[in-house]
Amino acid sequence: MSVLARLARTPEGAAGLVLLALPVAAALAAPFLFPADPLAIAGPALAPPFSDAAFPLGTDRLGRDVLAGLVHGARASLMVGLAAAFVAVAFGALVGTIAGFSGGLADEALMRLTEAFQTVPGFLLALAFVSVAGGSLPVVVAAIALGAWTGPARLARAEVLSIRGRDYVAAARVAGMRATEIALREVLPNALPPVLALSSVIVANAVLVEAALSFLGLGDPNLITWGSMIAEGRTMLRSAPHLSIVPGLGLVVTVLGVHLLSEGLAEALATRRARA
Amino acid sequence: MNRAFRLVRRRALTAVPVLLIVAAGAFLLLEAAPGDAADAYLLSIGGGDPAFVAALREQWGLDGSLSSRLWLYLSALARLDLGWSLAFDRPVRDLVAERLPATLWLMGAATALSFLLGSALGVVAGARPGSLADRLLSAGSLAVYAVPGFWLGLVLIVVFSVRLRWFPTAGIETVASGKAGLARALDIARHLALPVASLSLIYLALFLRMMRAGMAEAWRQDYALAARARGLGRFRIAVRHIARNALLPLVTMLGLQAASMLGGSVVIESVFAIPGFGRLAHEAVAARDAPLLCGIILVSAVMVVAVNLAVDLAYAALDPRVEDGEARA
Amino acid sequence: MIPLRFCRRTVLRGTALLLAPLALPARLFANGGRLVVAADSEPRNLNPAIVASNGVFFVASKVIEPLAEASYDGRDGLAPRLAVAWEGSADGLSATFRLRQGVTWHDGKPFTSADVAFSALKVWKPLQNLGRLVFANLEAVDTPDDHTAIFRFSRPTPFQLIRNALPVVSSVVAKHVFENEADIAASPLNNRPMGTGPFRFAEHRPGEYYLLERNPDYWGEGEPKLDQIVFRVLPDRAAAAGALEAGEIHLAAFSQVPLADLDRIAKVEGIAVHTRGYEALTYQLCVEINHRRKELADLAVRRAIAHAIDRDFVVRTIFLGHAQASTGIVPKNAPEFHEADVPAYPFDVERANALLDRAGYKRGQDGVRFSLRLLPAPYFTETRQFGDYLRQALAAIGIEAVVVNNDAAAHQKAVYADHDFDLAVAPTVFRGDPAISTTILVRSGTPAGVPFSNQGGYENAGIDALIDEAAETVDTAARTALYRRLQQLVAQDLPLINVAEWGFVTVASDRVANVSSNPRWAVSNWADTALES
Repeated sequence: MSVLARLARTPEGAAGLVLLALPVAAALAAPFLFPADPLAIAGPALAPPFSDAAFPLGTDRLGRDVLAGLVHGARASLMVGLAAAFVAVAFGALVGTIAGFSGGLADEALMRLTEAFQTVPGFLLALAFVSVAGGSLPVVVAAIALGAWTGPARLARAEVLSIRGRDYVAAARVAGMRATEIALREVLPNALPPVLALSSVIVANAVLVEAALSFLGLGDPNLITWGSMIAEGRTMLRSAPHLSIVPGLGLVVTVLGVHLLSEGLAEALATRRARA
Repeated sequence: MNRAFRLVRRRALTAVPVLLIVAAGAFLLLEAAPGDAADAYLLSIGGGDPAFVAALREQWGLDGSLSSRLWLYLSALARLDLGWSLAFDRPVRDLVAERLPATLWLMGAATALSFLLGSALGVVAGARPGSLADRLLSAGSLAVYAVPGFWLGLVLIVVFSVRLRWFPTAGIETVASGKAGLARALDIARHLALPVASLSLIYLALFLRMMRAGMAEAWRQDYALAARARGLGRFRIAVRHIARNALLPLVTMLGLQAASMLGGSVVIESVFAIPGFGRLAHEAVAARDAPLLCGIILVSAVMVVAVNLAVDLAYAALDPRVEDGEARA
Repeated sequence: MIPLRFCRRTVLRGTALLLAPLALPARLFANGGRLVVAADSEPRNLNPAIVASNGVFFVASKVIEPLAEASYDGRDGLAPRLAVAWEGSADGLSATFRLRQGVTWHDGKPFTSADVAFSALKVWKPLQNLGRLVFANLEAVDTPDDHTAIFRFSRPTPFQLIRNALPVVSSVVAKHVFENEADIAASPLNNRPMGTGPFRFAEHRPGEYYLLERNPDYWGEGEPKLDQIVFRVLPDRAAAAGALEAGEIHLAAFSQVPLADLDRIAKVEGIAVHTRGYEALTYQLCVEINHRRKELADLAVRRAIAHAIDRDFVVRTIFLGHAQASTGIVPKNAPEFHEADVPAYPFDVERANALLDRAGYKRGQDGVRFSLRLLPAPYFTETRQFGDYLRQALAAIGIEAVVVNNDAAAHQKAVYADHDFDLAVAPTVFRGDPAISTTILVRSGTPAGVPFSNQGGYENAGIDALIDEAAETVDTAARTALYRRLQQLVAQDLPLINVAEWGFVTVASDRVANVSSNPRWAVSNWADTALES
C-alpha cells in the first residue's frame, strides 16, 4: 500500500487532505475563477457580505472583491510557504551536510553560525531583512527562510554524523570516491527523509510569518495576501469585522490542514516502519 | 555544584563567538539598508534644507566609513555600551532597560500559563490515549495551534474589550494613575490578560501536544507496563511515573521556544500597544534606527542564550544522567 | 499653516462655534479635570522653536507659545499670543512686534523682548526647519524696551510672509534657559520644554505618556480650565478608536480614528466627531513625477495621467468625503492665494487614451503601453490607498504601474535623494503662504535630499523667474497676484499632479468643551478647553 493511501486512512491525514484541498484548489483555480487583478476596484466600497450576488463576501475599503482576494491570497500564502520551506530545507540540508561531512574547523564555524541564527528570534530577523531589502516576493521568501534553515541544518548534520561511520560510506571511500561525491551520492539521500519530515512544520510556520510580515505592512504591495487583507481590515474591525475575519479563517484552515497532514504522514510512516 | 559551574563556563565560552557573529551580522544588514536615520527624521518633520541635512548627518556620526563605524560599534559593545538611538536621541541601553520589563512580564506570564496549563491538559489527554477527553483536547489544541496570534488578538479585543468591556484595549497599565502596590499589580494584570492569551495559546497547544505524545510513548515503556502489572492505578502511574519522564522534553522545548516567543511579542505588542521590547523593535525598523535595532537584536540574542543556559541547568537538575552540555543534543 | 481672510461663511460658522459653549449652563463645564488624549508619535526633539512640525506642536504648543496663533475671526486671520500687535515697514526691511506685558516663564522669571530676540537669532533662523527659510535675511533684532522687538532684514522680506508664518515659526523659548547651552540643537533641555503656555511640562514616560500640568500663573484670565493633560502614546490607529469607545481616552485628533470608523463611532453615545479645526493644516495629496523618464517628460502623458484620475472617487471612497478635489498647488481653504481659474483635468479615460495614442505610445500585445514604478509615501493610510487606486487608474489607460512600498527612510532616499522612482504619491503641506513649503515643489535647483521638494528634475525658467520675483515683492497685492499666476502656469504644465486636499478629524467625548475653536486647534494651546465633570 502506498504511503498516500495509508495517509488517507489515518483520521488526521484524511482531515488534513480535505482541509488543504480548499486553499490548494483555490490557489490553482484563482486565475480561472477571478481572471481580473484581485487588487482591482470592482464595485462599491464596503459592501457587506451576502448582500450582493456579484460579491458573495462583500467588498473592502476601496471596493475590491473580498472573495477574489481570499482566493488569490491562498495562492500567495501557499506559494510563499512552499518556496520559503524549500529554500530553508535545501540551504539547511546543504550547510548541515557540509558541516557534518567535513568536521573540524569548518564544522565548528558552520555550527557557530547556525547557533547565531538560532539565537536571534526568527521573526525579528525577517523584519529587519525585509525592511532593508524591500518588500518583494523573493525578499519575503528569503527573509522567512533566513529564520528557518537552522532546524534542517542541525538535523542534517546529526544524520550525516550517524550515517558517516556506516558501512556503505566506508565502502565508497575505499572505492576511491571523492569527499563531495560521497556527500552528494551516498550521505545526502539517506539523511533526507527526516529532514523532509521537518518541512511541513516549516511550511506552516512560513505561512504564519508571511501573514505577520504583511500584517505589519512589510509584504509585497503588488500581491494580495491574507496578512495584508487582515491589516487593511483591522482599522475597520468594528465597522466591518468580516474584512479581517475572513482572511484569518483562510490562514487557520491552511495551517491546520498542513499540521493534520504532517501528523497523518508521521503516523503512516510509522506504521510502514513497524511493518517493515 | 561543580558540574553546574562547568556547564555555565562551557556555554559562556561558546556564546561569545555566537554573539559576535550576531552583532556583526546585524550591523552589516542595517548598513545595507537604503536611507539612513537622517532621511527618516527629515520626513517625519516634513522637510528641511540641504545644509540642515548635512549638519544632522555630521552630528549623528553617519558620515564615517563602514569599517570605522563597525569598529566603533564593536568596541563600544565591549564596554557594554549599546550605542545611541537616533530616533529617540537617547542611549540604547536606557531604552532597552525601560522597555524590557513589560516584555518580560508578558513573556513570563505567557510561558507560565502555556507551560503549566499545557502540560496539565497534556497529562489529562495522555492519561488515557484515545479517550474522549484526549480526542477533544488533541483536536482543540491542533486547531488552536493554527491560529495566528495577532489575528486572535484582534478578535479578543473586539469581543472582550469593545463589546463586553471586561478588559482594556491597549497599554500595560492605566496611564499616570498614581496606583501603587496591589492596586497597580491588579491593573497591570488586567491589561496583560488579552495579550498573554494571544501570545500563549499557540505554545499552550504545543506543550499539550508534546506532553500527550510523550505520555503515549511512555505507556509503552517497560516501567509503565511493570507498574501496571504491579496493579497500580492508571491515573497514579500517569502522574507519578509517566508525566515526570514526559516533562523533560518540554523543558528543552521551553528553551527552544524562547526566541520564537520573543519574535511573536513584536506583533502582539503592536496589536495591544504595549510599550515593550517588541514594539521598540518595530519602531526601530520604521525609523531606520540602526544602532537601536542592532542593540535590540543583540539583547534578544543574549536573552535567548540566558534562557537556554537556565534550561540546561534545570535539565541537569531534573535528570542526573545528563552530562554537561549534552542536554540538548 | 495660517488661514487668512476666510470667506464670510467660514467666519460666521467659527463665531457660532465659539459662542456655542457659552450657551450651555456654566456649571456643566467646571474648571479642573484631566484630559486624556491619544498621541501617535513621540518626537525625538520636543522643542517647537527648533522643530516646527505638527507632531511636536501637538504636545509642545500647550507649553511653549508663539507670538500669534491662527484664528477664525481675528485680523489677518491671527489672534495675539505673546505679541499683541505687529507691523511691517513699507520697504520690507523691518517688522515691529509689541509684546504682551506681565507674562512670566514657568520658572517665574519675566518674559521680555530679549527672549524674542534670542529665539529669533539663535534658534529660529539658524536651527528651525522652516525658520531658516522665513528668516533667511534676518540680520538683527532691536529691543528698545522690554516689550518691543524690531526685526531687521538685510533684503526686502514680505511682511505678508512673516505674518502668515507666525503661528508656525515663532515659538518663543527662554533666553536664560538656553543661552549657556553650547549646542542648542542637541541640548537635552529640548525634551523638557519650559515656556509661557497654559500648561507646564511635567513628565514623559517613553512609550507610555506625556503629562502636562496646569500653569497657575498663566496670563490668560481664568485659564487654563483643565488641571492636567495626558497624551497617551497609542501609535496604532486601530487602538485609538477602541480606547475612545472603552472610555480610556477623551480625545483623538489628526484622524487617529480611521475615517472608515467615523460613521459608526459618530453613532456611539457620548462621542462627538469634529471635522473643523484643521483649516490651517491642509495636506495635499499629489502625484510627484520624475521628468527624467522620457515618457513623463512628455506633457501629453502627464495630462493623460491627470485625466485618468477620478478625483471624485478619491474624495468619496478613499477619504470618505473628508476631503475635496484639488485644482492646483494652493488649496481652496487658503482663499487669500487660491486661484480657481486654472486649466482643469476632468476624469475622462477615453480622452486620456486618445492623448496617449496621439502621442505615439501604442499598446502592446498585453494592452500595456509602458511600465512605471509607483512609490506611495508611507505616512498616511490614504497615501497608500491612493497608490493602490492609482495603479488601477493607470492600468485603465494602458500604463502598468508597479507599486513599491518603502518605510519612511527608504522612501525619502529613493524619491528625494536618489530619484529612483517614476511616480510617487506625496502628502505635501500648505503652510499658510506659498513661499514656505509650496514653491519648492516646482522651483528647480533644490539639491538632492530635500523631502517634499522638486526632485523630479523639472525645469521651467518662466516658473523659476516668477517664484524669485515673488520672494522679494513686498507689496501684498502684487505678491498675491504673482502666486495666482504661478498656479495657472503649474496647472498648465503639470510638473506634479494635485489630486485632493484634506484636513483631519477629531473624535472626542462630548464631555470635552471648546474643541476645534481655531483653524490650528489640535496644535494650539488648549487654554480654553474644558472637561465636563
